[in-house]
Amino acid sequence: MALGGIIRGKRTTLRTPTEDDLGGYARWMADMRVRALVRPWHEPAMPATWKERLGEQTKEKNGALWSIEAEARLVGLVRVGFGSEPHRDSAHIHDFIVDPDEWRKGYGFDAVLALHRYLFDYLDLRRASVSLTVENAGARRIADRLGYTEFAHKHEVHFRDGAYVDELELLMERPVWDERWGKTEREYQPLGSGGPGSVDPKGDV
Amino acid sequence: MFGPRIIGDDGVELRTPSLEDYGLFAKWQLEPAVTRFWGPRLQDEPPSGAEERMKKDGESKTSLLWTIAHADETVGFTGIFGIDWVRRDGETGIFIGRHDLYGRGIASETVRLRMAYIWNELDLHRTHNWIALPNQGSWRANKKSGYAQVGTYPRVGFRSGEWIDEWLGEAFPHTFPKDRTPPPWR
Repeated sequence: MALGGIIRGKRTTLRTPTEDDLGGYARWMADMRVRALVRPWHEPAMPATWKERLGEQTKEKNGALWSIEAEARLVGLVRVGFGSEPHRDSAHIHDFIVDPDEWRKGYGFDAVLALHRYLFDYLDLRRASVSLTVENAGARRIADRLGYTEFAHKHEVHFRDGAYVDELELLMERPVWDERWGKTEREYQPLGSGGPGSVDPKGDV
Repeated sequence: MFGPRIIGDDGVELRTPSLEDYGLFAKWQLEPAVTRFWGPRLQDEPPSGAEERMKKDGESKTSLLWTIAHADETVGFTGIFGIDWVRRDGETGIFIGRHDLYGRGIASETVRLRMAYIWNELDLHRTHNWIALPNQGSWRANKKSGYAQVGTYPRVGFRSGEWIDEWLGEAFPHTFPKDRTPPPWR
């Protein structure tokens, strides 16, 4: 899996990362607005090191990385782990970062909804999980809207600005996806419906 | 990293692992009697892999591992893994490979020694762990040395027709009971 393929949202597209994206990644990891809310995927480093990191990610067997694009420009990244054998039936969102200059434009929810459609409707996973600091109100609003619920409150986990802040563990189960989004969010139209990508009874695509 | 020798009560001590210990660790993790709440009981390295794994563990800057000995015999391993030196947090774990020794307080004494070392020598701020909820012996042993439950992760593992929840715990230096501090830190 290593690098993710195309997942289309309404306003954003999750796509395979390229070396051209690494400048953006490096800038976000060095941005204190990002670091106050999340643990950086990697620490700031020279461009050659970022290329090595992308190379290492391509060898990753238990997860995938996507770049997020909107209006033909890079606006974020998301990195997901898929557990380990023999129960590769869940996903954990390790990193989800939207460029701080692109916050409050709705890109985050659009990208995450598309990602979860892929996780549940395409990969047929049982559940997805994520960890958030209690101060990450934007991410919490997205998680709540999507259908995540809290199952643990960890104390004094994330260190920023000279003090520790608590972190939450959240979970979204497959039945919640089915109930809340399953009827409207699908990777493909049902077979035989005549929609794009479907197969009609005569066998024509 | 490997941990130094720490002598506890009732014949329990933590030791720097040997290559022979690593052979036992690999063997035990394939046995049903001690893996009900452990991994998938699958081997992912050749028999000669123990030396390479030991080298890797010894060189790691983000984990610290001990052999658990009881009455001078190797009976398991414990440690702290995935240490984040910025957050000063890490995940602790314990594995007793001798089911005939369950219920003798070896886990409780091991956790006491391990946590005393972590708080007094590593200067960490917090530790955490995820333990199968039905594995009461393990989370009770951790509670005695200051762990508290912060959540329950539902339906994480599957064994013998049942889904198993996990007990999520955390500990801090101030939650370690002072009267349980072992030497040389007492």
